[in-house]
Amino acid sequence: MGLPYTDSVALETLTIRSGSNQLVVTKNSALISYNGQIILLPSPIVREDNRWLAPVEFLTTGLSRMTPIEFRYRSGTSRLFVGNIEAPELEMNAQTLGPITRLTLRSAIPINVGVKREDPTKAILSLNVSPLDPARERIDHRDRLLHSVVFDDSDGDSKIVLDITREVSDLRITPADNNRIFFVDLLRKGEPVTAAPATEAPATTAAKPDSVAPDRRVRVVVIDPGHGGMDSGAKTSAGIEKDLTLALARRLRTVLQMRLGTTVLLTRDADIALDNEARSAVANNNQANLFISLHIGYSGNKMESTSSIFIMKEGFGETVSQTSAGNQLFLPWYLGYRTHRQGSAAAATMLQEELIKQISGWKFAIRTAPLAVLGSATMPSLLFEIGNLNNNVNAQTLADNGFQARLVNTMVDAIQRFSESPQAAAN
Amino acid sequence: MPRHIKIGLIAMGIGLAVAMGFFVNIVGRVQSMMKNDREIEENPFKAPQPLYAPTDPPVAVKLFFPAASGEPLLTAEDEKIFKSGELANRAKQILQKLQEGPHSESMFPSLPKDTKVQDLFISEQGIAFINFSNTVALNHPGGVLNELATVYSIVDSLTYNLPEIKEVKILIGGVEKETLAGHCLLLLPLSMDLSLTNVVPREEKTASLR
Ligand SMILES: [Zn+2]
Repeated sequence: MGLPYTDSVALETLTIRSGSNQLVVTKNSALISYNGQIILLPSPIVREDNRWLAPVEFLTTGLSRMTPIEFRYRSGTSRLFVGNIEAPELEMNAQTLGPITRLTLRSAIPINVGVKREDPTKAILSLNVSPLDPARERIDHRDRLLHSVVFDDSDGDSKIVLDITREVSDLRITPADNNRIFFVDLLRKGEPVTAAPATEAPATTAAKPDSVAPDRRVRVVVIDPGHGGMDSGAKTSAGIEKDLTLALARRLRTVLQMRLGTTVLLTRDADIALDNEARSAVANNNQANLFISLHIGYSGNKMESTSSIFIMKEGFGETVSQTSAGNQLFLPWYLGYRTHRQGSAAAATMLQEELIKQISGWKFAIRTAPLAVLGSATMPSLLFEIGNLNNNVNAQTLADNGFQARLVNTMVDAIQRFSESPQAAAN
Repeated sequence: MPRHIKIGLIAMGIGLAVAMGFFVNIVGRVQSMMKNDREIEENPFKAPQPLYAPTDPPVAVKLFFPAASGEPLLTAEDEKIFKSGELANRAKQILQKLQEGPHSESMFPSLPKDTKVQDLFISEQGIAFINFSNTVALNHPGGVLNELATVYSIVDSLTYNLPEIKEVKILIGGVEKETLAGHCLLLLPLSMDLSLTNVVPREEKTASLR
């Protein structure tokens, strides 16, 4: 780098100068001095065979002060960017969603992703952009289908190597958010995955909004169809909760995509069981601006027909976190809701107002409760419980196409209002 | 046969009979011991410890059941339990009344069919740990509001009537469960929420009387 330096064997120091600035390094010490200011490195600098060996942080926290050259290093990776290199960030996340395993890729810029199954236990995802700056180079994900995810660009091309098990029968890639998000779903042999009906537009082709709000702040919405798989939810001769919630979620996705051009993700698009944490994790991992969990109600009273919009109960879990986790640096998972409680309340109010205005003959109340699916969601989030499956008239109405369309359009009106409100800007 | 051999055989016979008798007796004794053991084991089930003494005075309680009208979610029914010395026994009496269901026509039962309380323990911090049988989840018909009614019928009935109980932690089938029917988080102990009921908190009531 052409900087003058003095290597003093007697003093066991190395002094680097640049203009009036001076950086002093001492053998076997993790402390370096920059103009008299002490900087601590994660490990000591050693001298071996007349060479100085320093941890990589020496470049980013020490030497970078002496030169205009930019050093970019992310701990946990084996990559160092020197100079002004345009390397878009790439995030990789793996999660177990009931019977499937989902790897979510998020890129700072639009990319293309191709998949090749090299052998039964290895699949390669090729990315058409290089260089990329992966936030993590390796994910060890232990589940039945996926063992590890490794980013590799040693030959100049960006690739992700998946160490998978023979049980994986198919890898399905779904792009979203104009090719900035990719879901790589690992499916198991013989897993009945009911695909979305062909009449509904998939996420990629739906970006033809007929009215884009001038100031659209809700870009990503995650919809959670309640229950699934072994867990049917409420069940009567008139209907099953898990099927109704999935049908409504798919409709809501289509209308949101068509009308607002929103990126919509479902926590499940098949009849699979998911635990509540996995559901809110889909919203958290995809940085959703709004999370809506859909449920159908059940009352012992066959005449009852109340619907409820739930937000997380205020103050829930706070006393526990004060006593047992008082000095924790991080929020306990069940307190995630606190970050956007105001936004959640605003979204609930708008949804209630639109529903009362447009769906006559039904009651819509806002309630608070300690709900498992909302506790750890870190964005405005609500749970909408619709009707009473034990009320025959309600159950018939809920299954009606016309009613479903009206209900979903009303929800999209409310989401549009929320999207243009200052409360949505807080995320 | 020589006489001394005859005598010998008879003596052996008597000895054998005595030995057999002794053996049979031992077997019988062992059998009766085992029977006793089994009876001792079964005893607590046959005659459960009474939850109150005949001398314990009756005390008025409010039990919270789902309102048929749906609004508020829970309404109170006035009942009586006996003021036993043991706090846990008073709590068990309240849960027993909840299991029996409401007398009023305008209320619904809050606990699913065949729900049993298997254990109850109250910690020093005032947290009541209740272990319900699996049936509380298996027989629950579902619904968020409906699940909330079941959970807070238990939590409010205990915390309102027994102020020593600050929080309630529900266990199902001996283990900690995330939820009862898929919605209401049970991983943390729950405290009283009278906003779901038609009853005002005790402090507010005394304040308004003053
Ligand atoms: Zn539900």
